[in-house]
Amino acid sequence: MDETTDNADAVSIQPHTHAAAVAPTDVDLVARVRANDESAFEELFNRHRRRVALIAGRFFRQREQIEEIVQETFTKAYFALPDFSNTQEASFAAWLARISFNSCYDELRRMKRRPESLAEGISEEEAAWLKGRLRADGAGDDIEAAIVSRDLAGKLLARLSPEDRTVLVMMDVEGMSVNEIAEMKDWSASKVKVRAHRARASLRRALGKFL
Amino acid sequence: MIGKKNERSLNERLDRIGRAFVRASGLNDEEAESAASSPFLYARLRSRIAAERARREAGESWFALVGVAWRTIPAMALTTVLAVTLLWLTSTGAGSSTVFGDESLLGASDNGIEQVVFADGRVLSSDDVLATIMNEDGREASR
Repeated sequence: MDETTDNADAVSIQPHTHAAAVAPTDVDLVARVRANDESAFEELFNRHRRRVALIAGRFFRQREQIEEIVQETFTKAYFALPDFSNTQEASFAAWLARISFNSCYDELRRMKRRPESLAEGISEEEAAWLKGRLRADGAGDDIEAAIVSRDLAGKLLARLSPEDRTVLVMMDVEGMSVNEIAEMKDWSASKVKVRAHRARASLRRALGKFL
Repeated sequence: MIGKKNERSLNERLDRIGRAFVRASGLNDEEAESAASSPFLYARLRSRIAAERARREAGESWFALVGVAWRTIPAMALTTVLAVTLLWLTSTGAGSSTVFGDESLLGASDNGIEQVVFADGRVLSSDDVLATIMNEDGREASR
């Protein structure tokens, strides 16, 4: 009887020991931050800062801008934590990504209001390079790999509205569906489709000038 | 027909190039990792959060002040209206009392005023005093 009891205790203790060794989930850390545990917020920051920086890097190329978006995103998240109520494990990352995209969108809008902060015009060399790519067979294949195309891409995309640019990045880079974008931006699905159509038309017009 | 086909083909080509530019505009994983692991980034974040908290608290105290004013201003306005009304009524009553005669003051419920008015109105003349003395003397003589 004693042996049976000992075995039962061993079985019941083992999962607790195993659980203690497992790293806390995001939901656990959020609960600890709500209980004024600042180290839990640092742990959340360390877990997700790379992803936030990657999202910021979809829109901005300067390091200062990316750091600004990272700080802005986590500051907003810190003060919005009491409103975070999802219990699904992957939800915190999605929630934080949503804040990141909105921070990027806000920064794009701020830049549009400051014309001096917009990218300068496309140089003659860049225009010639772009013209060559547009006329070549299999156009687009080597653009992603070319160094010159990165600055050029920034200058071309700066000509789009913040809404158009956000939708294009979400679709073409993040590979998000219309419904996912609609959920993240609080837009209707039809608005996302219309916005994507307009964004592609705007980009076509911008590129068409170099044909 | 051929023109439309050419246009569609051109649009597809431009869309493909456009997608390539959108993808090319972003940072790669290593660059993002480098930007995210910038030294003192978390320390700067903490100071930013502290500044934001202070700003919000200042905003809250200002908002609380507005809330107090929101409740106080109507109460003060009501008090002022009441005070002005009372002042107006009082001044109106005092002005009209100067034109009232003795009869208007002799209300049945105000005996004090009646006595004052009577006392004021029945001042004894020297003839009355003389008559009283003579009556007193006559009464003593008859005893």
